[in-house]
Amino acid sequence: MDAFDQAGKTAVLQNIHGTMQFLQRFPPFNQMENAHLAYLVEQCQLRFYASGESIIKPADGPVEHFYIVKQGRVVGERNHAATGTETTFEITGGECFPLAALLGERATRTEHLAAEDTFCLQLNKAAFIRLFALSEVFRDFALRGVSSLLDQVNQQVQRRAVETLGNQYSLNTRLGELAMRHPVTCVPDTPVREAVRLMHEQQVGSIVIVDEQRAPVGIFTLRDLRQVVADASADFAAPIAAHMTAAPFYLSPQASAFDAAIAMTERHIAHVCLVQDQRLCGVVSERDLFSLQRVDLVHLARTIRHAARVENLVSLRGEIGQLVERMLAHGASSTQITHIITLLNDHTVCRVIELAIQDKGDPGVPFSWLCFGSEGRREQTLHTDQDNGILFEARDAAQAAEIRARLLPLAQHINQGLAQCGFTLCKGNIMAGNPELCLSRAEWARRFAAFIREATPENLLASSIYFDLRVVWGDEQACEQLRQGILDQVADNRLFQRMMAANALRQRPPVGRFREFVLTRSGNDKAATLDLKVQGLTPFVDGARLLALANGVHANNTLERLRQLVGKEVIDPLDGGAYEEAYHFIQQTRMQQHQLQTRQNLPYSNRVDPDSLNDLDRRILRESLRQAQRLQSSLALRYQL
Amino acid sequence: MSLFAWLRPSQPALDAAQQQRLAQLPGPAPLQDHTLRAQRWVVLDLETTGLNLNRDQVLSIGAVVIEDGAIDFSQQFERTLHRHDHKPGPSVLIHGLGPSAIAAGCVPADALLDLMAFIGDSPLLAFHAGFDQRMLSRALKDSLGYRLQHPFIDVAELAPLLNPDVVLRDAGLDDWTAHFGLQAGERHHASADAQVTAELALILFSQARRQHIDSPLLLEHRLQGWRRRRQHSHGF
Repeated sequence: MDAFDQAGKTAVLQNIHGTMQFLQRFPPFNQMENAHLAYLVEQCQLRFYASGESIIKPADGPVEHFYIVKQGRVVGERNHAATGTETTFEITGGECFPLAALLGERATRTEHLAAEDTFCLQLNKAAFIRLFALSEVFRDFALRGVSSLLDQVNQQVQRRAVETLGNQYSLNTRLGELAMRHPVTCVPDTPVREAVRLMHEQQVGSIVIVDEQRAPVGIFTLRDLRQVVADASADFAAPIAAHMTAAPFYLSPQASAFDAAIAMTERHIAHVCLVQDQRLCGVVSERDLFSLQRVDLVHLARTIRHAARVENLVSLRGEIGQLVERMLAHGASSTQITHIITLLNDHTVCRVIELAIQDKGDPGVPFSWLCFGSEGRREQTLHTDQDNGILFEARDAAQAAEIRARLLPLAQHINQGLAQCGFTLCKGNIMAGNPELCLSRAEWARRFAAFIREATPENLLASSIYFDLRVVWGDEQACEQLRQGILDQVADNRLFQRMMAANALRQRPPVGRFREFVLTRSGNDKAATLDLKVQGLTPFVDGARLLALANGVHANNTLERLRQLVGKEVIDPLDGGAYEEAYHFIQQTRMQQHQLQTRQNLPYSNRVDPDSLNDLDRRILRESLRQAQRLQSSLALRYQL
Repeated sequence: MSLFAWLRPSQPALDAAQQQRLAQLPGPAPLQDHTLRAQRWVVLDLETTGLNLNRDQVLSIGAVVIEDGAIDFSQQFERTLHRHDHKPGPSVLIHGLGPSAIAAGCVPADALLDLMAFIGDSPLLAFHAGFDQRMLSRALKDSLGYRLQHPFIDVAELAPLLNPDVVLRDAGLDDWTAHFGLQAGERHHASADAQVTAELALILFSQARRQHIDSPLLLEHRLQGWRRRRQHSHGF
């Protein structure tokens, strides 16, 4: 009789039951049907491997078994001609291997060794295939491996955040699914009165003006109507074309709710047309996107840009915190959130500058406001301090000094305004109000060239801050010229690259070979912790910066740099994907910590006790930190360190 | 009829089917000199009404199989024996088998026939094997009139033989389990104890291979030598 039909019919034997209970502590086994799990266990063999013993290796040929670690630890080791062996991963209790090789019906590429005395459950290939066919949960897990674990984490994040907020909605939702109603449309020569009647009948806030092919040529919204009404001479019989906003912004119905939210925030618009094959197929309004939210993004951005006084901006900052919490609840990823925070921060900075100019008077010299560091990379979290400077054009040193004298009081005023808004004053005085950071283009260029020429520890540290520069306010041309200069000089200077690489290896990710995490105790903390920012994110940020500068990549953002490096074949696509997921996860964990700290009225901290995370999060954090380790060893290999 | 026939207890009453099964049981195979991995082993644990070898009875039997060097979950043996006259003694506190579980158990003769069919010609492994060997021998003789001749290897002897540097006096299963950091399931349940004994045996076989004792026969020889040395050192 088929073993599966028998499974579960007789009382489950004690030892089978015990092993099932063990497996049920881990995904995907905790979601599998009992009968499927019983079948899995009954088909297993339990094998012992002494420390150092090989479990499977490339020379064994196509993989014949699926393994689950019951007790102990398995490491993957890959041989490199140049550097010897590299530990690529670590697998502990409840984790499985080697899925990719088993599904690909090939040999494993990595030798799997017992790192300590280890017991593994071993399932033969026939039973694995049977289980694969029987259990959807198992199949899903086997096919998607770790990325399905990441999905589960994201679901968890959403569920948890939703619990505190009480609604369900994802920013990844396709716009086509959100725009439920047919858009209200009319042709360009429709009288205004007629168009408004249509809007009123349909109870909508906008009407799209289309041509014969149904391509959108304009949009007319309640805001436009207000202007028409305010204008005493307006003629309601005039064609709508005279009052509409022409060439309205549009997106594809495949774009996400997040894309629309970003567009609305950037452009201060409340409606986005959906266009497919040049034909209008829907309209998404601010209300559609944020109908369930108390704070809305577009309104917030608009209020920031029109704030009359710095004090108003201060009160708006609190709303950004609430917004972040809501976005987490709506399934936004850490990248989306940092993007939004950066956007809102940029709006705040711009408004503070504009208000300062109103207060102090226009200095009469064009200048650009630069930001550096995480702000430059668009990776800000709520917990942020000022790293900024001013860039201006000057004929010579004398004129530069004269312009500097004129700009400095304004710059200091801006720094104080930003401090009021919650951007902590920089302890290292990297602020535009500092005369050394209010420079002409020639002065900046000279300064940057010196960083690259003389790679002292101070200069290396400075380059890791300044070389992520970006313009927040003012003309961007001069800044791009500076960046091109940096890229050219770094590409030419192998020694500087090597020193930067050594610098990028200083912060070692806190995972050890023999223990799960390498933790330290800071201050009089009760629990040992690790620093998510310094030990987790910095290795990625530093590595991506070095490779970007050395390979002519203009982007500043770490993930964007990684993507472009993959495009330039500097990084292997699989590695790039793994780094991206890992970076993402660490950043997400860090943000959740910050939100939690806010809710509990604790000061912001990047330190986390891994034991406070749940099992799944802890495993993925460990894997993510291991990716940071891999990026570092690839740098060590590249620069022979 | 033999002159001493009256000295023997009366033959147990077996029905025809039971008689036939008894006749078909294979005899034990002697310990071989092939590798440890090539040997099928049955790891046994018994729960009994007490520790008296002449009076106490087997209450439950758990057995797992080591084959091809691994514990095979598809071969598991687990029986509670029906004892109609069973009164719970103090040992109920250890094994947790209450009168209802015992009453629901199966007929001892059938359970033991099942067990011997399960064992086949394989050698047996147990922790403090002498006890299990004698309890099982008596149960087999009483219920089936069967003479148990399968070789037993005692894991409680194997562990100190292969780990001469470990000083554990009169170490029990719990001591060795803890020494090797094994995660034991529910202890004092025949199946769970057989399982943890089997896990211990896997570790010990791995050690034996590294010490070049890679056959069942060689293992037995080394155990005999170890027993002799131990008796000398104990002043016999």
